[in-house]
Amino acid sequence: MIELMNVTKTYGSTIKAVDNLSLVIPDGEIFGFLGPNGAGKTTTIKLIAGILNADSGSIRVNGKDLREHALEVKKQIGFVPDTPNMFLRLKGIEYLNFMADMYDVSTEDRQERIQSLAARFGMADVLQDRIQSYSHGMRQKIILIGVLVHNPSVWILDEPMTGLDPRSSFLLKEMMREHADSGNTVFFSTHVLDVAEKVCDRVAIINKGQLLFCGSMEEMKDHFKKNASLENMFLELTESESEE
Amino acid sequence: MKVKNKTFLLARTLIKNGEGLGIKGSSTFAKVSVILVFAIMIPMFMAGIAYLVTSLLGVLVQIGQEGIILSWGIAINSAIVFLFGIFYVVSTFYFSSDVEFLLPMPLKPRQILGAKFLVVTIYEYFTTAISFLPVWITYGIYMGCGLLYYIYGLVVFLLMPITPLAAASLIIMVIMRFTNLSKHKDAVKVLGGMVGVFFGVGLNLVIQNVMGSMSQEQIMELVQKGNNSLMILTSGVFPTARWGAEALINYSQLSGLFSFLLYAGFSLLIYFALLWLGQLIYLPGVVGLSETGSRRTKVNKQALEKTTVKGSVVRTYTLVELRLLFRTPIYFINCVSINFLWPVFLVFPLLFQSQQLNQIQQISEMLNRPESQGMVLAGSFALALFMGATNGTTSTSISREGQELFVKKYLPISYRQQLTAKVLSGFVLGLVSILIMVLFAVFIFKLSFWMGLLILAAAWLPVLLTCLTGLLIDLHNPKLDWDSEQKAVKQNVNLLYNMLAAVIPGVLTFVVLAFSPNLLVTFIALTALYGLLCYIMARLLYTKGVKRFIQLEI
Repeated sequence: MIELMNVTKTYGSTIKAVDNLSLVIPDGEIFGFLGPNGAGKTTTIKLIAGILNADSGSIRVNGKDLREHALEVKKQIGFVPDTPNMFLRLKGIEYLNFMADMYDVSTEDRQERIQSLAARFGMADVLQDRIQSYSHGMRQKIILIGVLVHNPSVWILDEPMTGLDPRSSFLLKEMMREHADSGNTVFFSTHVLDVAEKVCDRVAIINKGQLLFCGSMEEMKDHFKKNASLENMFLELTESESEE
Repeated sequence: MKVKNKTFLLARTLIKNGEGLGIKGSSTFAKVSVILVFAIMIPMFMAGIAYLVTSLLGVLVQIGQEGIILSWGIAINSAIVFLFGIFYVVSTFYFSSDVEFLLPMPLKPRQILGAKFLVVTIYEYFTTAISFLPVWITYGIYMGCGLLYYIYGLVVFLLMPITPLAAASLIIMVIMRFTNLSKHKDAVKVLGGMVGVFFGVGLNLVIQNVMGSMSQEQIMELVQKGNNSLMILTSGVFPTARWGAEALINYSQLSGLFSFLLYAGFSLLIYFALLWLGQLIYLPGVVGLSETGSRRTKVNKQALEKTTVKGSVVRTYTLVELRLLFRTPIYFINCVSINFLWPVFLVFPLLFQSQQLNQIQQISEMLNRPESQGMVLAGSFALALFMGATNGTTSTSISREGQELFVKKYLPISYRQQLTAKVLSGFVLGLVSILIMVLFAVFIFKLSFWMGLLILAAAWLPVLLTCLTGLLIDLHNPKLDWDSEQKAVKQNVNLLYNMLAAVIPGVLTFVVLAFSPNLLVTFIALTALYGLLCYIMARLLYTKGVKRFIQLEI
């Protein structure tokens, strides 16, 4: 479960990237975070993951306050950033082992998970190679495996489908469903409405740091019919979707 | 004409894309302090040279050898250009990330090479301006030279880097041409760079040897000849150095004009010859340099189980830091290899010069004298401090994270542990240089085994201190906004700050030394001093440093 209460984040002293945002994402739910480029999606995600410090408001994960119990909260989160270009000079297996050590995963657990996840994502043959030699999609997959190796209860994924091949994309969506169905939380950002429609239980739309809508996909469509500004947003979102 | 335009255009863009002092994006305080440091230190250094030149001229004029000032000035500057050039050329011609953008453009190899050569030449002007201008101008004023002297001098100054830089480029290009074949590009890059550096140092030693082989009598004979005959001594290094000096000394005569034309003509010829050669060998050396080999082999279960054993957080984090340092060519050259190079730089010249053998003996005798044991220990502290401060591992360790710093923010391990691991990675590397230093001292200078052991047991303190101060400095002024790894380490002023910070314990060490205490007192005084300083810095790191790490946001 993720709870955001009146969270505000300002860059410099004027630009409010996130403006008084409140959200509750209960267990067992896949939650989609929508918005055009520069809306504040990544900033919100970075705030929940503990990468950025909020100016005001509070963030709780599984009932624990992020500020007070930072390390405990971080251990429950699996975070996939929007760029997979990191630790390029490590071998795939070295990266996974590094993540497992950071998240305090036992030898038996990590070996079992690395083998099964690598096999599922078709990465077993490249684990001894440096990440530098991977394609964009493979880098995305190694990051995903690294995140899942500690079996976190809360998944936070920033544009996770970008660069994945259809098979891996399908697999990830399937895993997200499984994860949520077994009582965990999945929070992910996207600007592809189609993905949100197929996967999410609920969505929120954010623009210029402010929450414009939060509810189910059906409710969202109803809402668009009544609210002109939201309809524009919808158009903007679908436009960016068709551009991709 | 078109060719020329593209080369200059490219050179201008490359310079604009550079970082200058590397203070772009730093805080105002950092900018002001960098500018202040440079504004005070550079004029002081130049004034020092001018003073030295003036006092030397007073003596040299009397024996008719004043010309040696200019020929030495040009020769030393050429040697500096050559040594810096080796590093500049490796990083600008081959390691720079812009190469990947330039290759697909409709440019001829000689245009890319020409532009990069010009960029490096301009970098070199910053160095040679500081060390050559005071020599040139002081000589001109002292000898009351005319306008033509200054015109010639300006041209000599502008063309000075060409010959030594071309020599450095040639060495590196040949090495890279024939090493860019392997699958392990990163390792080869490092090796190529290292071979280049060693080749450069080796060449320098050979030159020193050639010059050193002249007997005392021969030199005295030259001195007595007068009429600037000593200048012949410097001609062995770069022929252009002598022509440049002769052009300046005889500026008012026809022979001066002749030397001047020879100097300028030869320099330009070298430049165009290099471009011609570059057209042939530059591209094969640079294409595919950033590719990475991959094996695509399935890991068997046992191998996987062996590599995925649980380890402690700090140990794993430190190992990853070290792996990245060893595997990233530019980090390896700047942070790792320097630990091995210092001892080599300091000791090899002594080893390779035959007449220096008794110097080794003298040093050995001095090191083993009972009354100098305290001094030896203090000296080892000073040397360890120097080697620690010139090693940029911790003073660039936050900067090296760059845009990836966010990763370190979401990992569920404390900032204290992360900073500890960062200090450890620098400390481990620093220990290697201490170990090499002690091994050299014991095996070459016959330092007693017990003294070597004592140094090992104590001189890690200065290394730890520089690691702590380096990390504190980098935490407060990290250079995170870079697009190529070399900007994170090469153009990072934090290394300079750390060297400046080391001046304080350095001075305190010399204060202890000044009292020439015995071994026991020196040991107690220095371990207490450095222990206390390390404690204070560690406290600062774990309080203020951690706070600062939390504040850092990308």
